[in-house]
Parts: sequence; C-alpha cells; structure tokens
Amino acid sequence: MRRRVAVRLRRGGSGPDTGPVIGAAFGVILASAQAGDETAFARIFRDVQPPLLRYLRVIAPEAEDVAGDTWLHVVAGLGGFRGGEQAFRAWLFTIARHRAADAGRHRARRPAVPLELSDAADQLASPDAADAALEAVSSRAVVALVASLPREQAEIIMLRVVAGLESGEVARIVGKSPGAVRVAAHRGLRRLAQQAERAGVTR
Amino acid sequence: MSGPDAMHGEMPGSPLPGRPGGEPDEPLLDMLFERRPLPPGAPPEMHDLARMLATLDGPAEPGELAGEAEALAAFWRLASPAGGRPAAVRPMRRGRSRPPTRIRAGLAAAVTALVAGVGGTAAAYAGALPDPVQEVAHVMVGAPAPHHGGPHHPAVPAPRPDTQPALRPASQPGPGQNHAGGSAKAPGQTQSPGSGHGSAKGDHGTARCCAHNPPPGQNKPGRRPEDPGKPTSSAACCPAA
Repeated sequence: MRRRVAVRLRRGGSGPDTGPVIGAAFGVILASAQAGDETAFARIFRDVQPPLLRYLRVIAPEAEDVAGDTWLHVVAGLGGFRGGEQAFRAWLFTIARHRAADAGRHRARRPAVPLELSDAADQLASPDAADAALEAVSSRAVVALVASLPREQAEIIMLRVVAGLESGEVARIVGKSPGAVRVAAHRGLRRLAQQAERAGVTR
Repeated sequence: MSGPDAMHGEMPGSPLPGRPGGEPDEPLLDMLFERRPLPPGAPPEMHDLARMLATLDGPAEPGELAGEAEALAAFWRLASPAGGRPAAVRPMRRGRSRPPTRIRAGLAAAVTALVAGVGGTAAAYAGALPDPVQEVAHVMVGAPAPHHGGPHHPAVPAPRPDTQPALRPASQPGPGQNHAGGSAKAPGQTQSPGSGHGSAKGDHGTARCCAHNPPPGQNKPGRRPEDPGKPTSSAACCPAA
C-alpha cells in the first residue's frame, strides 16, 4: 500500500506566484550597478544567487565554486550588458551553464549525480525521510528530487521554474527547439510527480 | 493518442501518468510553468506539484547567500570605477585553482616548520636563546655557547628599518649605542669624530665589510657569524679589527 504523508510545503497557494523578483525597478538597479554602485549589485546578487545555486546543484557537483566563477564572469561583463531582467537572467544562467561545463571537463572523476544530491534524494525517497519531512520540505530537498530526474529534464525544469525563463530562452540555452523543451519539461514534471508521490511528498 | 506528450489541450483533465488509463494533463502542466493558478478542479497531485515548484523557487535559505562577500569583492575589483576593495574582503574563490584543504594544510605546516627552523637557527647563532637551549644549539649546530650569568638578549637591539639606513658606517653608534641626545641620521651625516675613514666610497665599503664582520663585542643580533674555522676578511677591511 502506498504511503501518503502530509507535507507542509513552505508556500501556500496552488501554484508558483513568482516572476522577476525585482521587476520594474530592475533597469534602474542594473544601471546603478553598472555605474559601480555596490548596493545595487548586491540587490541583484541576492535576487539571483539562490536560484543560481539551486540550478547549479542540479547540474554540477561543485555548485558553489561554479557560482563563484559565474559571478566573476558576470561582473566582468556587467558594464556591457544591455537588456531587461529576463534577458539578464538568461545571460547569467547561460554563463553558469558554460562554467558548469568547464568544471565538468576539469573534473577527474564525475559522478552521474552529485553525491550530496543523490544522498539527499535517497533520504527524501525513503519512508523514514518522508516521515522526517512531515514538518517542512526545504528547497534543497526538492532540488535533490529534481536532480534525480534525467539530466535534461531536470535542467529544463530548473531553468523554467527556478530561473524563471521562457521556453524560447531555455531552448536557446540548452540548444534545443522550443517544442523539444516543452516535451522534456512536461516529462520531467510528470516524473517528478511520480517520485514525489513515491517519496510521500503529497497530501 | 497514447503517448505521454499529447499536444496542448488534447487531453484536458486527464490524470497523472502512472494511474490506470492515465495521461498527463498538459494544460495544467503548462499552467504550472506559466505560474498561473490552477483551477479548483485540478487533481490534488497537480496542487502538490505546484507547491513543490513554489518551494523550489522560494526565497533564499540559510547559506545560499554565503558568497555575497566574495561576489562584492569581485565587483569592487573588476566593476567599480574606483577599482579598489576593502582589504578585509577575501578575493573570490576559484574552485578549480584552489588547492584542496588537505594540501593547503600540509603547505601551511611545512611553511611553519621552515620558519621555525630558520628562526630558531638564527636565534641560536645570535645567542638569543635561553641558556639551556643555547647550550643544546651550541652542541648540535655549533652555535655560540650561552653567556652564563649575562642577559639572554644582546644589549644592542636590531636596527629598525624605518629609522636606520640600510648601510651604517661602522663608526656610527647603533640604536642602543647612541650618544646622549643622538638620533638616527641620514647617510652622509653620520660620520662620527675620530673615524678618520677615507672617501665616501671607501666608507661604504668599510661599512659593508664591518657590518658583516662586527668587531668583538659588537655582534649584531640575528646575523650569523662567519664559520669559525674559516678566515674572515675583518682584519683586512675593518680598522678596528
């Protein structure tokens, strides 16, 4: 008999209610950062760093280091960037993807799934872990669950949901057609729902 | 249509895969990606999935902003017009170029041992160690014997680089030998009465020689004397020697 465990997720409601966090003020903040205003840059960093780390935790074992490399490149190219918040995020996550690929090439031994993520996914998928997750499920645990999906599906879900990018932007980043991205995203969500049900992350 | 990827709107309201006869509800999946609220009649699994995605996109959790100081350091270094950054902020960590902690710990231990060894040897040859330790150094590495009954540290402290010229004529009193009211002087103003040395060039040569080979009783602390079994050039260059 399949276990069903009530899990209180951190956000209420029936769907993601996020979008660009900075919104209309992004242009002003970006211009200030480009002029050297560190407060403006910190505002952008605090907005983008959490989704960046979560995305990298799905595609790269050394997520923190790759995030650092990503910000180095972002800072170096910040002055020449032109565009809105969506374009900025697409640019930043493209850099992150390239940096993660570089890190993967330099890695001597590369596990298929980051060890900490596979561990976390195993814990989440186990009945005991489901009991332990009664109170709350952190984003890290859900990231681990997504990381257990096939790599392409996991990455597309993260780019769509966490990075907040449109299908066309995701298609450009991963080098696939928008239709292929949509198919992979749907398959990933279906599999995620199955895994969540197995792990007891349902109600 | 039996595949799992039916086109948008082809199978509205169908249950999740894995259920008997189930196919995915693609409009609902699209709504999830488009951040639109699900209709009240959506399957509970969809609502669970929506909450998971909301958690995935939730606010920063502890530790996720830990790299802010490093990113700001990179910003100050690369993007700020001033180009400067506070000295207290470490440069951005580069994962590929940073040696593992184990290697860094070993390197630190090696440097510490090297510094301790060199410093200890220098102190031994300067006679600056406590008498028992100096005695051991005397036996083991040929350092000077301890000065029994005297102070452990020489009376003449090492010259301070910010107040003393690099080369001091031999006749100039050291910091601990200054005449009353005397102070450090610039080169060229330091010739003391009675030195009677020749040209400035010659004085510098003599100073260099005597600095390396101080007369007896004027050993410079921290400087290793010449090998006792090896002739020195003190007699040839130092008038006082």
